[in-house]
Formats: sequence, C-alpha cells, structure tokens
Amino acid sequence: MKLRKSLIAVGAILTLGAATLAGCSTSTDPGTSGGAALTIAKPDGAITTESHNPFLGDSSASKYGYAKVIFEPLALVNPTGDLGTTPWLAESVEWNDDYTQLTVVPRSGVKWSDGEDFTADDIVFTFDMLKTGKLTDGAALKVTDVTADGDTVVISFDGSKYTAQSRVLHTAIVPKHIWEKIDDPNTDPLTGEGQAVGTGPYVLDSWTTESVTLKANPDYWGGELAVPELHYVSYGDNAALTTALSSGEADWAQAFIPQIKDSYLAADKDNHFLAAPTLGSGTVFLNLQTKPFNNVALRQALAWTIDRTAYVDIAREGASTPIWSVTGLSELLDDEILPEYKDANYSVDVDKAKQILTDAGYTWKDDKLIDPDGEAVSFSISVPAGWSDWNTEQALIAEELKEGLGIEVKIDQPDWGGWDAARQEGTFQAIIHWLEDTGNAYGLYTSTMDPKWIVDNKAQFDFGRFDDPAVTAALNEYANASDDASRQAALAVIQKAFVDNVPAIPLGSHPLLGEYNTRNYVGWPSEGDLYASADPTQPGIVQILTKLKPAN
Amino acid sequence: MTAIQPPLTEPEVDALEVGTTATKASKGRSRIPWRFLGGRAAFYLFTLWAAITINFFLPRLMKGDAVSAYLARNRNVTPEAAESLRALLGLDTDKSLLQQYIDYWSHLLRGDLGVSLLHGLRPVTEVVGQALPWTIGLVGFATIVAFTIGTVGGAIIGWRRGSKLDVFIPITTFLNTIPYFWLGMLAIAAFAVNLRWFPIGKAYGVGVKPEWSFEFIGQVIHHGTLPVLTIVVASLGGWMLGMRNMMLTVLDEDYITVAQAKGMPNRRVLWGYAARNAVLPQIQSFALSLGFVVGGTIVMEMVFSYPGIGKLLLDATNAKDYALMQGVFLVITISVLIANVLADIAYAFLDPRTRQTEA
Repeated sequence: MKLRKSLIAVGAILTLGAATLAGCSTSTDPGTSGGAALTIAKPDGAITTESHNPFLGDSSASKYGYAKVIFEPLALVNPTGDLGTTPWLAESVEWNDDYTQLTVVPRSGVKWSDGEDFTADDIVFTFDMLKTGKLTDGAALKVTDVTADGDTVVISFDGSKYTAQSRVLHTAIVPKHIWEKIDDPNTDPLTGEGQAVGTGPYVLDSWTTESVTLKANPDYWGGELAVPELHYVSYGDNAALTTALSSGEADWAQAFIPQIKDSYLAADKDNHFLAAPTLGSGTVFLNLQTKPFNNVALRQALAWTIDRTAYVDIAREGASTPIWSVTGLSELLDDEILPEYKDANYSVDVDKAKQILTDAGYTWKDDKLIDPDGEAVSFSISVPAGWSDWNTEQALIAEELKEGLGIEVKIDQPDWGGWDAARQEGTFQAIIHWLEDTGNAYGLYTSTMDPKWIVDNKAQFDFGRFDDPAVTAALNEYANASDDASRQAALAVIQKAFVDNVPAIPLGSHPLLGEYNTRNYVGWPSEGDLYASADPTQPGIVQILTKLKPAN
Repeated sequence: MTAIQPPLTEPEVDALEVGTTATKASKGRSRIPWRFLGGRAAFYLFTLWAAITINFFLPRLMKGDAVSAYLARNRNVTPEAAESLRALLGLDTDKSLLQQYIDYWSHLLRGDLGVSLLHGLRPVTEVVGQALPWTIGLVGFATIVAFTIGTVGGAIIGWRRGSKLDVFIPITTFLNTIPYFWLGMLAIAAFAVNLRWFPIGKAYGVGVKPEWSFEFIGQVIHHGTLPVLTIVVASLGGWMLGMRNMMLTVLDEDYITVAQAKGMPNRRVLWGYAARNAVLPQIQSFALSLGFVVGGTIVMEMVFSYPGIGKLLLDATNAKDYALMQGVFLVITISVLIANVLADIAYAFLDPRTRQTEA
C-alpha cells in the first residue's frame, strides 16, 4: 500500500511539473512595434554554425537564405514570368553586343548599413576579388577587367556571358571598407563586430543555433519596409516544417509538401502556395552509349509513351507544368521554338510509338518488346532514394512502359554517392536529373548535348554523352554570338538535332516553390503577377519584401 | 613466554585475517590493482587506435565525391567552377591515402580536426562543439530519467510480483516497440498542435538569445519536455523489464528469505538486499547506453527539429564531408570508450568477483 502511494505521488509530481512548465511559458511574442514579424523556414535541420559569408554555399547565411536580404546584387533576373531583368543596386546595367562587357551605373544615395556610402568602388572591389582569384569564382564568370570610369563601372569577361547573365548580375556586392581587411573572403564567417554589413533591406540582429533575427534597415534606399522583423528558422525535416506552416508558427517557406491541399492550404484560408515555372525541367537522361538507348527509335518511342501529365499531377502533385513540345522547351521559352516545331507536340500515343519500333525492326513476343538483335528490352531507371517526387515518377514510367510497350523497367534507388558516381562515369541506363539554368533555350540543349561538360571522362551534364561536332559548334555559336540572327541560325541546328535524336526527355518544368500567408501582409507574387518566384531563398526576395504591404 | 608467543607461521593462515571473498575485496580497495588497470589501459588504447583508423578509412570507401555533392546542394554554382571549388574545399591534393592517414594523425594529435565542408568551412571542433551540449543535455537527461524510473519501477514490480502492477510490463514493452518517429509525431499532434502545451520543436524559441536567465532556462525546459518525455516513454520498457526479471531471480535467494525471517522491514529488504544485487547488470547496460547518448538520436532530432550530433553525422555522410564525419565518429568512439572504462571501474568496485584475476 505504501509503495503504491509513493508511486502515485511520483506520478502526481511529474504531472504537476509538466503542467507548471506548460503554464509558465507562453509563446514568445516576436512582434516589435508596427507589425508582425515574418518567419521564414527551411527543412534542413538545426543550423548550428554561424557564418554570414554570402559567397559560400554552405554558410548559415546561404543555407537559411538571409544573405540575400543583407547583400544585394546589381540587378535581379526573374527566373519565371517574363524572365526580365530589373536593375537593383545599379541604376542601369547594359551589355555590349556580344555580351562580353557589362556597363553598370551604380545607384546613387545608397548607404551601407554601417552608414558608409555605397560607391562604384565597392562594385569594382567585389569583381576585382573575383578577377584576382582572391575570391573563388564559383559562378565561372572569368572576369578579365573591372574599371570605374566616372559614374560608371565597366566589367569585362573573357567570353560571352549571354548564357550566364544572371550569374553575373546576381553577384552579391560587398563593402570594400570592410572586406579589404578580410584575409580570406572565401571562408571568413564575418562574425566579427560590425562585419555583416550590406546594403540590403534587413540587418542582422541576433544569431542563435535555433533562429536568426534580422531587423528592418531604417536607412534602406528602397523606402519604408512593411515587415519590421524577419526570423529565419530551420526545422528537422519536411514533416516538421509542414506542421509549423500549418500551425502558423512559420510564415514563408519553399518546401515540396506532399498533399499540400490537405496538409497546408486547408489549415487556413490565408495560406497560399505558388509554383512558379522556371526553365529548368525534371528530365529523363538516357545513356546513348549502351543498349538499349543507343537506338534512336526506342528513345522516340519512350517520348511518345511517357505521360508528362501524370508526372505533373501524380509525382509532382500539381507543382510543375508538363512539357510536351518536341523541342523539349517549356512554355516560358515559346519565343525560342522554331516555326516548324511550333505545334509539334508529343502526346501519349502508344500506337505511334509501336509503329516507330516496328519500323526500326523491333518485335513483340509474349507481350515483351524484343530488339532487332533478338533480346528482350529492359533497363533500369535510377533516382536517389528519398527524392520522393522523382521516386514516384520512376514507378509511373515503369508502369507506363510495361503496359504500353512491354518494356521491363527496373527501379533503382541508390544512395546519393552511388547515383552520383554512375551519372558521372556514364554507367547508368536512365536517370532523372535537373538542367543547368542559363535563362534561355541554351540551358536545356547544353545540359543534354554539349560534350564540354565531360572533363577527364567525368560528366557534370550531358550524361548520355551526346557528341556531334556540328551541334557542339552550334552550341558555342549560340553562346558567343554577337547578334540575334547568328544566334537564331545556331538555334535551328541545335533544335533540329534535339528533335531528331531525342537525347533526353524533359518531363515538366521544375518550379520554384513558395508557401506564404496573407494574414498580415499582401503583395506577394501570384500566378497572375509573376514578378518574382515566391521562393524566399532566391535573390528576388528583396523585391518581394519591398512590395509587401500590411494586410489591412 | 612460549605460551603467549604465537607460532611464526600462524598469521599466514589466520582465517580471520584471510577472511572471505568479501574481505579480500575490501582489502583490495586499499591498494591499487596495477596489473588490472594496466591491462585495461593497454586494451583501451588499442581499441582507440583501431577505431580511429577505421574511422579514417571507412568513409573513403564510400562512393561519390564532395564537390559534386556541393554542386547538387548549390545549384547556383555552375559545374564549370568544379576545379576552383576543389581548390577552395582543399580537395585538389593528390596525396596518397597513406600520406593522408599520417597527416590525419599529426593533425589529430594537435587537436586539429580540419574544417567542415558542409558548415561554411568552419572548424570541425566548433561545429561539433555547437551541437554536442544539446545532445548530451537532452538525450543524456532522458536516459538517466528512463533508467531511474525503469529501475525503481522494475524493482517495485518485481517485489510485488503477481499484483496488478504487473500490467506495467506489457504496457511499457508495447511503448518500446512503437517506432519512435511515430510516437514523436503523435506527441506533437496531440500536445503541441492541438493542446498547444508545448512548442512543436527546436531547443528554444525563435528570437530568444541564449543567456543564463530564468527565461532562457525556462524556454529550454519547455522545449525539451516533449522530446525527453517521448524518449523516456520509448525506452522505459527495456529498463523496467530487465530490472524486474533480475529482481525475480534475486528474490528467490536464501538471504532474502533469511532477512524476511529475521523480521526486517520490507522496505529494507527490498532496497538494501534485493534491489542492490539486482541492479548490477542494469548499471552495466546503463554505462553502455550513456556511451551511445553522444551518437544522438537522428530521428528525435528530425521530428523535433532539435540540434544535435545525429543529424550532423547524417548530413556529413550524405555530403561526403570527411572531416566532419571523422570528427563526429571520434567523439562517439571516445565517449563509448570512456563509458566502458567507467563501467569497468564501477563494476570493479561494486562486484569484487570481477577483480579476482588480481588475486
């Protein structure tokens, strides 16, 4: 009896303790005067190491994305919508005819957040670090010269930057008076007193292992900001992030949320989701060097069989736009589709696929596709385990090809390392992969047909190892042309080669995602007004933050 | 003279002086068992060397390389910059594996664990140092709580065998078998989302600065409650079952019957005689589980967005961040070894039989 009593006592104490704890701490009130804070969330697990370096991909500033609201670029290139360029820290940016030289007029009246004036010298200094190699040239800009000439800055490059405009323009501009004292700009964490200084709309307030707080820059050149405070947090995984978004603990994110209607949009009528289409596409790369995909007929048959709508609706749960054009280009690039291919679209047409195969000498036996050599056609499609949308697409493709054409598709889900090695060394049969984004049609075609990506027999793109000297020359011509006519002529060669050879099969545009709510602020990008993507880790975030207005 | 002078050989065989095993043990305490300690030390040094060597070679057997992992994470970096990245990340060396191994040891002995590619090229010591206190604090505390409740509960249940208390055994064992992530998500759904008693995750609130104030400590406790409770609930079963089973064995011993026959209070028999003997194997597994605390619980960290070593290791493995992987392995290895040393020592004191090799 005594024992039981003490047990009850222990239980009571525990319960009491928990209840007291629950009672005593109410949720922290993040608001400062004048409006609610916005909490921007990522699903990357705790980010426990402090580094505000904007040039380092894995610094906390880059992982959370808060580098983008401290350091600003010369101009913003819209990755979606009209694909237009908006000068930002520059009054104007102008390319010469062959895109080897950029003329920048720095914006006047801009101050660094420590009070110093922003001048042309800062731009020169930033690009000079890239030129001298003091700062690693991660975007492969290959700056050859930077000079300030009165009010303008002229930056020269060793080749055409037509296909890398956004890489040039999105370079974060840093203050000379602070960075000239930094020994190694590649790795310095900028954690010293007064080092995290930029021109951006927000300034760093506090950094902890659990969250980062930034306050509105009172002297911001872009005018008054509606949001007084930003919090950046990172949750353990997508599920935890979804819970935080639905419960209102987090406001803004860029995650792929499964069953988004039920798990997020239904939680509050003010919750919104925007999938902004971009030029990059989820693309099936086929290994052109080995059986079975060394036969173009089979590649064409696949292009007529794989259901892109199923990819968008089922695998991507609507967060994508299907690509049916035989040129592989997405809707955003309609202008670059040649007249002869304007209405040439693939569709799911199994009969046509079978006809192509029959013409090429393929036969069927017991519902199994037999190639001209008399072997059953079978291949494996590989995507790293855990990439849930593309893992679903693997299953869809396997089903479509088995039912439609009688091809046995093996689903391979290795770890990242195994997948990475196979794609680089060309030992895969089919993979789903992303594309290089260049802001134009070049991105798709260089990613799928340009042998320049294969160095030391290791591929960074062109995984199928397409290699046609005429196409390679045309790709170079497209990238380096000094006028639109020769670029157009090159495009004709490239596009025809893509249509004829089917080196890869784009499935659907890979969008930039954004989940946000209109409880406190309005003015977000939307499907009708794609002035930027709603992804808070993109450079366009500064544009969104200056456009936000209080909801009432 | 001869009557009171004892024979010279007498003290050698004096039964009182020689005593029993227990006397030997208490005497043993007064002098240091050098041979025993030396043997153990040599064994642990060898284990440490072997573990560090394996830690060095194992990650290098994995496929994939750090630069392409970096490029996949940072799609705004063009693969054309791969070469300059290799230089930046310090991977442009063509040193042989042996040379790298020697360098690794010389750096290690100077306390330099290298820089972590995955964490903004910050020193590994700093990266691990930021995550380690949270793991030790939370998982360590939860393990101690689970051990204490489980052992005390198991002792009581074993003592009152056949009573209604027995129902705790299947209940806790059942909770033990529930996948932890599911338990965690259920707890979040119930207590954080619906009842709003606890936050849905993280170690402390957004915008709160770490400082030695009641507010901050309150925050940490408030945020840590749900993770601790779920870990305790999930691991209680093992401790309780183990203790209860040992109790059942011990309670059948003669000295328990004797103690009760002497009319000793039940409380004293239970804690002073039965539980004290039954707890020995529990302490062994407790020491071992303390060693694994440092490894963290990846699932807990992901479900509760809690900072810690587990997720650090997972991400480092995916990103081929050798330096960080080795750093984390090193910390885990050392803590497991230390826990083993402590268990050995504790056992040597608690149970004299383990020291009998010395005699």
